[in-house]
Amino acid sequence: MEYKLDRNTHSLLDPRTKLLLLFTSSVFVVGSAGEQRMRVFYWILVFIPVFLLFMEKEWKAGGAAVTIYVGSYFAQIALQHELTALESVLALMLYIITKIIPTVILARYIVRTTKVSEFLTAMHKMKVPDKITIPVSVIFRFFPTVIEESRAIGDAMRMKGIEMGAKKATEAVEYRMVPLIASCSIIGEELSAAAMSRGLDVGKKRTCIWNIKMGFFDWVIIVLCLVCFIWWGIGGLFI
Amino acid sequence: MDTNNNRLNAKDLINVGVYTAICAVICCAVAISGVIPVMMLFLVVFVPILTGIPYMMFLTKVKKFGMILILNILMGALMWVTGMSYYALVVGTIAGLIAEYIYRAGGYMSKWHGIAAYAISGLYCWANYFGIFFNAEAYFSTRQNFGQEYIDAVTRLLPAWMCPVLMIVDVLCGIIGGWIGTKLLKKHFVKAGIA
Amino acid sequence: MICFNNVSFRYARGEESLKNINLTINKGDVVLVCGSSGCGKSTLVRCVNGLIPHFYEGELTGSITVGEMNVSQTTLRKISGYVGTVFQNPRSQFFNVDTTSELAFGCENFGLDPHEIEQRINRTVNRLDLTALMDRSIFKLSGGEKQKIACASIAVEPVDVIILDEPSANLDFKGICELQKMIEAWKEDGKTILIAEHRISYLFPFINRALLMKNGEIKKEYSVEEIKALTEKELHELGLRAESMENPSETRIKGIMDMSDTDKMVLFNMKYAYRGESAVFDIPKMEIPVGEIIGIVGTNGIGKSTFLRCLCGMERRCKAKLKVRDEEWNNRKRRQKIYMVMQDVNHQLFTDSVLEEVLISQDSEDREEALDILKLLDLTEYADRHPLALSGGQKQRVAVASAIASGREIILFDEPTSGLDYYHMLQVSELLKALKEKGKTVIIVTHDVELIKNACTCVIHFGNK
Repeated sequence: MEYKLDRNTHSLLDPRTKLLLLFTSSVFVVGSAGEQRMRVFYWILVFIPVFLLFMEKEWKAGGAAVTIYVGSYFAQIALQHELTALESVLALMLYIITKIIPTVILARYIVRTTKVSEFLTAMHKMKVPDKITIPVSVIFRFFPTVIEESRAIGDAMRMKGIEMGAKKATEAVEYRMVPLIASCSIIGEELSAAAMSRGLDVGKKRTCIWNIKMGFFDWVIIVLCLVCFIWWGIGGLFI
Repeated sequence: MDTNNNRLNAKDLINVGVYTAICAVICCAVAISGVIPVMMLFLVVFVPILTGIPYMMFLTKVKKFGMILILNILMGALMWVTGMSYYALVVGTIAGLIAEYIYRAGGYMSKWHGIAAYAISGLYCWANYFGIFFNAEAYFSTRQNFGQEYIDAVTRLLPAWMCPVLMIVDVLCGIIGGWIGTKLLKKHFVKAGIA
Repeated sequence: MICFNNVSFRYARGEESLKNINLTINKGDVVLVCGSSGCGKSTLVRCVNGLIPHFYEGELTGSITVGEMNVSQTTLRKISGYVGTVFQNPRSQFFNVDTTSELAFGCENFGLDPHEIEQRINRTVNRLDLTALMDRSIFKLSGGEKQKIACASIAVEPVDVIILDEPSANLDFKGICELQKMIEAWKEDGKTILIAEHRISYLFPFINRALLMKNGEIKKEYSVEEIKALTEKELHELGLRAESMENPSETRIKGIMDMSDTDKMVLFNMKYAYRGESAVFDIPKMEIPVGEIIGIVGTNGIGKSTFLRCLCGMERRCKAKLKVRDEEWNNRKRRQKIYMVMQDVNHQLFTDSVLEEVLISQDSEDREEALDILKLLDLTEYADRHPLALSGGQKQRVAVASAIASGREIILFDEPTSGLDYYHMLQVSELLKALKEKGKTVIIVTHDVELIKNACTCVIHFGNK
């Protein structure tokens, strides 16, 4: 079968839309701007990441997220009386979890579905300088690497029987950090050499094989985000 | 040679990305424990101490103006997006700029300038609490359903005077973290010849 | 095409690594640069792709021209449009997360028209039969597949010169065959190719000449006929690998002994599957001879490394039991009784001196014994050095020293000789034999035919049912 590159392959949303959504979500979901007045938007923003998960066919993760939201919603209702100390700790934990999970899911979605090349180009169109976009794209790629390395080191420690630190807590930190940093710094150095030997440079024009265009869903999300901010702004005028 | 040039090149920017990723992973690991309410207060202790080690390694790669600032902007942005507050980005940027000048004053190699730069740049961590201090009303109005009792408890734990205290704690832990970082740097990476 | 005029180079930290190199390479030549580790072959090729002096700092004298460009006066970006490089470590040479973008990366950086890039990618993928690898995550590929993508991404670029820096270090037999196809295609296109390697026989069909390097100098130049004529012994003396292209799965080891008499341990219920995928392997029962050196062979990606991880009890989801003598070892027990030397030894070095490294591996610290172990492994003079500062072969020895110090009776190795030259491979094989002498059972996953022939007393072939 003959291979043919489809330059229009992309995830549901454009990188720029993803960032706008992340921004909106961090203002209204995590930052709880607008409080009660934004209630409806709050829940819409909470469920968009779940919808995106389902679109990516991540049924399990999506299902888990829904379960947590629903569970914590009822738990919060159940906890609406005079609280004991333990109950209030529990309530706060729930609160933090429900605030942070949507954004975490969204951030993970963005990292998983955005191609580095797509991201660089989209940011370039928004006139974001290379000095920000290159490090960010390296973070995309390096996050999994750091976790991979860290796991391998954890395994090695477990095998040596030093996972709890041979004698002191400081050693546990040292044993974990030193190989991690050593190995990441070597990989980073080799990565730079490889990238530069393939022409990556700062402030030079580059092209992109992926067609970056706003689609239907992009506009839906953009309008939604704008409405959020407008509604919030209008509300401010009346109060 | 590229290094005589004062413009940041791809290698510098990739290094920034690499060390931001390491610091971010550490922050995440600590922040996960932050779900337990009391631990949240300790973010300001553990994050500066733990990230000191990669940060000091990072500083050995910094020879040009801008790298510290970019790392700080990125860390601030990450903090903001993952649910802290946008103050982290604002404070992070300003702190990064100050740190940049401090480290430059040390000629990009002085140990104590490095520690000071690190301690200052770590202030984005402290800025995470601003939401509680500056907007206490708003911060707690969403938490009404936890009961007045609980709000009183947290407010008691975090009175306004705690704000400067936390800043001092943050800077002190930054100095400790930076100092541990330089120790380990010398013990391991300098000895191994990779720093 | 490529011209070195009296070139010497000294890294910013370290000794002189190139001395008075004079060399001319014509367009369309395929040149092998060989020599043992540390001979300067990698340094030499870095001068061609411009990483020296633009990336690795140091003191460069003499002049290098590639095409019409003087390397030290041309920017790396400009050189990169002319010279493409495949590096040794498949883990660290990707900037993108998905394979398709990685193929396009170089061309995108040069600012080529997207339509042209598209055509180039289609042509390369179809020619090299890579359809199955497209649109995948780099993190889900095996080492061999990654190296294929690395080669393909250079093949997409419109470069005239191609550099391969120890490309076979992490490849198995099948991977090397693929690599050969790649080089053949480039040669057909008339590219100039420069390869730094110490495994050389797989390159014989392509090269026009071979340069032997030693201590930073070009010691000798061979024609193809001359280098083919070198005997195994002569190659070994030069620190080069002599293995002919041979599939490790078909390797026969000398003097197979009768295994029916030896003690055996029995492994039960060995199965493992990644979450949500079908089983990597499923072995109801397997006998492993005690006190032997057992080589496990099989193609990349068949699950050999996972097998080792399960065997030493590191995968909680694997419920295998190992029956040794009359005891049954579960995962926990196996973690205490079995030691594994990982493929990337850097992950296993924790302390600031070699001696310290051995001490923390012991159950209770015993300085005397630790020093004895160092002596056995010829590491005494490095006792105070930082393990990370050692060379690859030395690190491997430190890892073995820790394994001995742990006092465990079964020791596993994951690809202990990948990237090692003949001399260091031999050293590792001697170490394995020393472990056997001490009564340990040694199990190695490897695709190194020479190691199997030198050390293994028994080979287990891992394959699909």
